[in-house]
Amino acid sequence: MRLRNQVWKDNVTGYLFILPQLLLFLLFIVYPILEGIRLSLYKVQYKQETFVGFDNYITLFHDPVFFKSIVNTVIFVVFIVILTVGFALFVSSAVFDKNAKYVSFIRGSYYIPVMVSMVVMSMVWGFLLNPANGLISYGAREMNLSTFNLLGNKNTVLPVVIFVTFATNVGQAIILYIASMIGVPKDLFEAAEVDGASRLRVIFQILIPLVKPTTIYITIINIIAVLKIFVVIQMLTGGGPNNATVTMMYYLYNNAFKYNQLGVASAVGVIMFIITLLLSVPQLRAMFKEK
Amino acid sequence: MQQQAKLTRKREAYDVVSNIAICLIAILNLFPLYWLFTSSLKNSSDVIKMPPDWWPKTFTLDNYTEVFHNQPALRWTFNSLYVAGLTTVLVVIASSMAAYAFSKLRFKGRNVIFIIFVSSMMVPKEVMIVPLFQLTQQLGLVNSLYGMIWPNVAIAFGVFLLKGFFDSAPDALREAARIDGAGEVRTFVQVLLPIVKPGIGALFILNFVQVWNDYLWQLVVGQEKNSKTLMVGIATLMQDLNPNFAYKMAGATIAAVPMLLIFILFQQYFTRGISIGAVKE
Repeated sequence: MRLRNQVWKDNVTGYLFILPQLLLFLLFIVYPILEGIRLSLYKVQYKQETFVGFDNYITLFHDPVFFKSIVNTVIFVVFIVILTVGFALFVSSAVFDKNAKYVSFIRGSYYIPVMVSMVVMSMVWGFLLNPANGLISYGAREMNLSTFNLLGNKNTVLPVVIFVTFATNVGQAIILYIASMIGVPKDLFEAAEVDGASRLRVIFQILIPLVKPTTIYITIINIIAVLKIFVVIQMLTGGGPNNATVTMMYYLYNNAFKYNQLGVASAVGVIMFIITLLLSVPQLRAMFKEK
Repeated sequence: MQQQAKLTRKREAYDVVSNIAICLIAILNLFPLYWLFTSSLKNSSDVIKMPPDWWPKTFTLDNYTEVFHNQPALRWTFNSLYVAGLTTVLVVIASSMAAYAFSKLRFKGRNVIFIIFVSSMMVPKEVMIVPLFQLTQQLGLVNSLYGMIWPNVAIAFGVFLLKGFFDSAPDALREAARIDGAGEVRTFVQVLLPIVKPGIGALFILNFVQVWNDYLWQLVVGQEKNSKTLMVGIATLMQDLNPNFAYKMAGATIAAVPMLLIFILFQQYFTRGISIGAVKE
């Protein structure tokens, strides 16, 4: 009897400690997810909701702009993630075994744009790329390049957005890799050194395989971050020219807050929700395997 | 930070060349920020002069006075600090309590709830922005700073981060406190919390920055001019009819400065905090 009492008391104490987090979680995460799934099956006009089944999803898959938004989002994810992982590996593997002052200088310089934020960086790039009086447009004109309005041309706008996003955010991956590489036990390098392996070989054959968990982590958080890419699109291109840079998040936002298509917007949200959930499975598995 | 063993003892050409390239790219990468600061100090005609002045010929603070005069920029700054600060304090309280329970207390459903919390962490709240906004409307929190605060407190990242710190605190400490007659609350506040302080520090900074940059949600919730946050308010300058780019750059600089200061002051915590989120080897 005393034992059962103790168990009951333990349960109550445990739940009281997680109660604030649990309530907020149910209200602001679980409820919106369920409500979003429900809304995606309705047509919403002002206060009136009509059940329409999968109509919103069918509408979506008949809309070429939605297709464009998926294609663009995939392009952004693939290129930005590859650039980020590749460049961050290059920088960190060259830098991590140098003296601490130099490491923190490099880390700081690449991380400052992350801190300054995508909003501010987008404003600066918007100014630099402005066709009338931006520095880059001026340079392009001076060098007689065929296009100087890089944001207004549908062949150049994607690479520009990819580059701006990559250059702003790569600092985070660099910090993660440097921390992870500094943690690699040094005797592993010494063995390679005795064999007379070159630096590049040590990097490719020992270092990069050893930091694979970090690579997986960086890949996943970046995929999810780029999947919801919004700020740079809203501030630099507005989805243009001619929907050339419209992304899923931007499409969702416009449907929800500009065209008042709440059902359709919710359907986009549900699709994105499922994608993020699937993408995070490997990361979650890795996290729980540790235990 | 301890000195790391060199990868290879010989100086190799690859090593030298790559490090020189990395330094050059770092400088190039910072150039847009240099351009931002110097442009904000030019007058409206110098800022669009071609060929450009690489260094301002005449310095003026007019753009800054104009931003503060035309826009409630101080109000926006206050709003951002309030939202980021209060969210972070609430996150620290709620998630340290929950993390302690998940790590040290035994109760039914502990593992299942924890797994659900952690799984939800990966889903950005933006994908549910429509129902979340409707909920905010129903709660009467549109145009309120609290509408920007509560949904971010719900995110379970802090629980995940702090649980790792509680896990590495020895159980013997709890036993000792128990023998001294301390209740669960006292054990938590007086014995365990001081031990996980580094984790709380990291969480504080990471969360503050994340909320500071929570642009899309703040854009949607703060629709009136005075309820905007700094990032959202400054971003409206880009669409402003005022053609003066120096004025826009002054706004962007104002938005950049608080975070730059925080980064310079707390660089050590940052590096540690960001790395803690990653998978341990």
